[in-house]
Amino acid sequence: MREPEVVIAGCGVISAVGCGVEPLRAALQNNASGLRAAEKFSAPRFQSNIAGAAPRNPDIDDPAWFLAAEALRQARAAAGQILAAVPAGKTGLVLSTTKANIEALERIAAGRPCSESARRHLRADLLAADLAADHGARGPVQTVSVACVSGLVAISQAARLIRRGAAEAVLVIGVDCLSDFVVSGFTALKALDPQGCRPFDRDRCGLSPGEAGAAVVLVRADRMPQSAVTVRAFGGSNDANHLTGPSRDGSGLALAIRAALTAAKISPSEIDYIHAHGTGTGYNDAMESLALKTIFGEACLPVSGAKGMLGHTLGAAGVVETIACVLAMENNFLPGTPRLSLAAEGTPPGLVREPRTVARLKNVLKLNTGFGGMNGALILSHV
Amino acid sequence: MSEISIIAASTVTAADLPLARLGQRFGRLDQQSQLALLAVASLNVNFDELAGDRIGICLAASAGSLSTDVNFWNGRDRVGGPSPTLFAYTLPSAAVGEVAIHFRLTGPNLCFVGDDQVILPEAADLLRRGGAEACVCIFCEVVTPECGRVISAPPVAAAHALFLKNRGEGIRTLREFDRDMKALCALIFQTKSAG
Repeated sequence: MREPEVVIAGCGVISAVGCGVEPLRAALQNNASGLRAAEKFSAPRFQSNIAGAAPRNPDIDDPAWFLAAEALRQARAAAGQILAAVPAGKTGLVLSTTKANIEALERIAAGRPCSESARRHLRADLLAADLAADHGARGPVQTVSVACVSGLVAISQAARLIRRGAAEAVLVIGVDCLSDFVVSGFTALKALDPQGCRPFDRDRCGLSPGEAGAAVVLVRADRMPQSAVTVRAFGGSNDANHLTGPSRDGSGLALAIRAALTAAKISPSEIDYIHAHGTGTGYNDAMESLALKTIFGEACLPVSGAKGMLGHTLGAAGVVETIACVLAMENNFLPGTPRLSLAAEGTPPGLVREPRTVARLKNVLKLNTGFGGMNGALILSHV
Repeated sequence: MSEISIIAASTVTAADLPLARLGQRFGRLDQQSQLALLAVASLNVNFDELAGDRIGICLAASAGSLSTDVNFWNGRDRVGGPSPTLFAYTLPSAAVGEVAIHFRLTGPNLCFVGDDQVILPEAADLLRRGGAEACVCIFCEVVTPECGRVISAPPVAAAHALFLKNRGEGIRTLREFDRDMKALCALIFQTKSAG
């Protein structure tokens, strides 16, 4: 029996470039960056204070809940009647996060006030359960945490739940917050670029942390009256090489891309655009360039990345960057690579510096990699 | 629909860790990664019989990485600053990475936060769709006393592992409604002990 196709029926996002999908679309089309100096992350305690901070409600001490709920509210509104027509028992939820509401740990350790909600949402599974209860998802609930690949795995999981009939619609939420905890950790690893991240740039020397809530509503395609972007296939792999560094030759990521292409039953030449992981660290960007060369050869395929705009939003990255791909596909443009000045040697020949319009994007490849050697490749199609 | 076999099962606790002989790096891992790695090693499976990229890993961690998070954060003010090594383990999926590195498993990975009910259905789905030929399933329960005070949970330190394979000859077939991985590991262990 042929499995149902899964499409994206609605998106929502709150990120360093503002609250809503429209500010993200505008930033993508203008190559704008939301990275700014954040005083709380100043030297000497932190390696860099450049970060992608999202708008927050200062009265709420549970930022993970705030960002996730806001993104989810937007995505549900965008999906409108299509989602409303799905029974609650057939509506699932998949949360993607690496640190959930880790800020609560900082509050508790410092003896600062911490609401019951903030403390509860230290646990990612309880954050997912509360989001599901609050947003009418009575179907399967999962909490995915696969480092920086979490978002793509969450979208893949949601699509699998729909394809095997466990759900007819799934709310996918990616969320991670800027916190002392995370910025201290990347400072300890000396992984931050003091000038702000410059993915694929000759002078790149690290990432910039970011925060976001991002949500997509996936539904069975036959519930969608008009054409929409399809979640076509996912491929995953592990480098089995090093806990915090990618394999130098890009073979692990190449394996994931190959798996995604095989599952999608398409050839590399059918990919129209690649949205890279592009953290701005020396090792990641070099590895990613090699992986792309392995699969696509010297083909001048358009490649760009959004972390110079949003920062590295960790568990939200895969979801917010997938939304960037959806916006590009729906509005026929190639996003640029914000904060890129001079492309490093060996970077993909089709690296897109500035956004430009295109006739059509049919198949888009979205990549993410993460600590623990995880690699993910998601293919989106717009027929 | 093709049958999935349970090839091996294991359960380990913190009491087993001092006896582990899993290389020099083992002592530098966080407790959750140590338990996960030891549980997988205790399966006594020769993973080399399959291609590394055809073996997936599916893990759930009952409390995510919160015990290591608390440990990392408590050490933030020490001389030299917070530990970069420990920071790498403040992800539940670090245990997946350690298992992959140790056994050279390059197949797809899944990692969940929460109970064990999600592991077997998702691992079975991965196998039935051809994403892998075999899957290492791991359920980690790690709550240190310090972490337990933060999340109001009792301390625990255990890991359970199962090795599933498409059409393999094993202990028994995975059934459609098998969900409780921890109980399944205990049952298989009891059966083997009695036998």
